[in-house]
Amino acid sequence: MGNKSSLFLRNEEIAQIQEETGFTPNQIERLYSRFTSLDRNDCGTLSREDLMRIPELAINPLCERIVHSFFAESNDDRVNFRQFMNVLAHFRPLRDNKQSKLNSREEKLKFAFKMYDLDDDGVISRDELLSILHMMVGANISQDQLVSIAERTILEADLCCQGKISFEDFCKALDRTDVDQKMSIRFLN
Amino acid sequence: MISALLSIFWIPLGGFLSFLVFISAINKSIGVRKAYVNLLLRIFEYGRVSIETASKENQTFSRNPKTDDKQGVQLVDDADSKEATNGVAPLITRDAVLLPQAQEPAPEKPVSSKKDEINFDFEKCLDYVKSGVEAIIEDDVTSRFEAEELKNWNMLTRTNRHYEFISWKITLIWMVGFFIRYVFLMPLRVLVCFVGVLFTVFANFIVALIPFRYLRNSLASLSFKITFRLIASSLSSLIKFHNKQYKPTVSGFCVANHTSPLDVAILSTDCTYSLIGQRHGGFLGVLQRALARASPHIWFERGEAKDRHLVAERLKQHVSDPNNPPILIFPEGTCINNTSVMQFKKGSFEVGGVIYPVAIKYDPRFGDAFWNSAKYSMMQYLYMMMTSWAIVCDVWYLPPMYRQEGESAIDFANRVKSVIAKQGGLIDLVWDGQLKRMKPKKEWKEIQQVEFANRLKSDST
Repeated sequence: MGNKSSLFLRNEEIAQIQEETGFTPNQIERLYSRFTSLDRNDCGTLSREDLMRIPELAINPLCERIVHSFFAESNDDRVNFRQFMNVLAHFRPLRDNKQSKLNSREEKLKFAFKMYDLDDDGVISRDELLSILHMMVGANISQDQLVSIAERTILEADLCCQGKISFEDFCKALDRTDVDQKMSIRFLN
Repeated sequence: MISALLSIFWIPLGGFLSFLVFISAINKSIGVRKAYVNLLLRIFEYGRVSIETASKENQTFSRNPKTDDKQGVQLVDDADSKEATNGVAPLITRDAVLLPQAQEPAPEKPVSSKKDEINFDFEKCLDYVKSGVEAIIEDDVTSRFEAEELKNWNMLTRTNRHYEFISWKITLIWMVGFFIRYVFLMPLRVLVCFVGVLFTVFANFIVALIPFRYLRNSLASLSFKITFRLIASSLSSLIKFHNKQYKPTVSGFCVANHTSPLDVAILSTDCTYSLIGQRHGGFLGVLQRALARASPHIWFERGEAKDRHLVAERLKQHVSDPNNPPILIFPEGTCINNTSVMQFKKGSFEVGGVIYPVAIKYDPRFGDAFWNSAKYSMMQYLYMMMTSWAIVCDVWYLPPMYRQEGESAIDFANRVKSVIAKQGGLIDLVWDGQLKRMKPKKEWKEIQQVEFANRLKSDST
C-alpha cells in the first residue's frame, strides 16, 4: 500500500491528465493506484525494473521494446505518472467520443512503428527487422530463414526502393489492418 | 502499586484464563465473538452509507458535475450488482493473456520447413504489444502479493485512505474503534496468546513423559488443539467449518491454500495435524520445539528442506504409519492474498496416499489476514493482527482425492488446486507463487517464442 498520502491525486492534476489523455477521472485514479503499487521504492517514478517485475510482461517476447516505449521521452530512465499516462493514452479506443491527440490511428501506427525502429532514426532497416524477428521467435526458426523473411518483408513493403521501410511504407503495409482493434484496450468504465 | 493491582486482579484474571483453557478443551464457544462480529458488520454498513453520501457531496463540489453525475450512478450500480464478488471490479477486459505454459498444442503435422515461404507482416507483433501494455495496466500476479483492495472502508486506516475525516460521525466511530483495538483488545490478546504458548510448553512437556503410547497420543492431540484454539481466540477468530464429514482422519496429506501463518492455527483448532516446515528461531521456534516434544512433527534444518529426496523420504516414512496424524501442507509454498490460488508444488503429490483438500477463505472486512512477508516481519504481522478487528474465515473440507492411474503428479496437483479454488471462490492461476521473490524463468518466454514461431509457420502454409 505504501505511502498513503500519495494515493490521492490533486484535482488539478486529474483535470490536466484528463485534458491530455482523455481518460476519465475514475480511470486516472485507478491507474494511479496501479502506478503507485508498481513503484516499489515509493519515489513517485517508475524504473525499467519496476515494469519488468510484472511477470506477464517479462515473458512477453517484445517486453524490452514495450518497456522502452515508456522511457522514450525521459532523460533519466525514470517515468513519472504523466508520462506513463501519455503512453497508455495511445491505447484508448478510437471510437471514444472524447478524442485526444494521442489515440488517433496515426498515433497508434507511430507507436507500432517505433517498436520496430530500434535506433529511432525513422526507418526500419533489415537488421532492425531481423532483431525483432529474433526476439519474437528465439531459436525456433533458423537464422537463414529469418534473414530471408526479413528481406522479403522489406522488399514487399519498401515502396521507395531504399532497402528500408519508412513510416509511410509502414502505414501502407498496414492499410487494411484494423489498427483500432489491434491497438486499443477495452477500458471498462 | 503494581503488586497491589496484581493482588486485586489476580483472581478474576486467573479465573478468566482458566475458563478460556477449559472452553478451548471442550471446543465450545459462548458466542461473544459471534455477537462482536455481527456488531462490527452493522457498524461497517453504517460507515459505508455515511461515506457514500459524504463523498458524493464532495465530488459534486470539486469536479465537473456533468461527467460526475453519471459516475455516481455507475458506482452505486456496481456496488449493487457485484456485491457477491470481492474486491474491486477489473479496469480493462483482456483479449490475449500470456501464460507461463503452452496454450495451444503445437501443430501435429510436421511443417514443411523446406518450403520456407514463411510470411511475416508487421501486424503480427501488434497483439503482443497490446497484451504487454495490458499487463502493465492490470495483471494477474503482482496484485496477488499485495493486500486486497476493499470496496468499503472497514474503519482501519491501514486499509484505506483518508476516510477517517470524511464526516464527524465516522471520525468518532474510528476513534472509539482505535481505542478499543489498541488499549483494550491488544493487551488482552497478547496475554491470551502468551498463555497459549505457555500452555503448549508445559502440556507437551508433561505429555511427553507419559509412557503409554495410546494415552500419550490422544493427550498430545488434545493439547495440540487447545494450543491453537487459545491462539486463535487471541485473535478473536470466528471460524466456520463446512462439510465436517470430510475432515481428515487417517494418515495422509491435508493440502490447503496459504494466506498467512495463521492458516495453521485455524485448521488446527478443529483437527490434529502433523506440521512440516523449516525450523525457526524466536517465537515460532519456542512453539515448534514444544510441539515436537509430544507429537510427530517434521521440522527441517535450514538447507535440509532444499534436499528434495530427503524431504520425500521423510514424508513417505510419516505417511506409512497409520497412527500418525495427517500432514498439513501448503503446496503454494508462499502466502498469497487470498484472492487466488497459485501453482501447487508437486512434491507432496508425488508421495502417494490420500489427499484431503481444504479451502480457506478469509473475510477481508475484519482485517487483512494476508502476510506480506516481503514487507512485514512475523512480529509486525502479529501486531497488526492483534490490532485488527477480528479474523473471520470459512474453512471447507473437501472430499478426499487420490491420484489416478497414469496421472502425473503435476496434473494431480492441478486437479486438487482447481477443486480448492472453486470451493473457496478463488481465482485459479497457473503462475508460480515464488514470483513474489524471484524473476520469471527464461523458459516461459521461450514458450511464447515457440508459440509465435508455430503461428508464423502455420499461417504461411
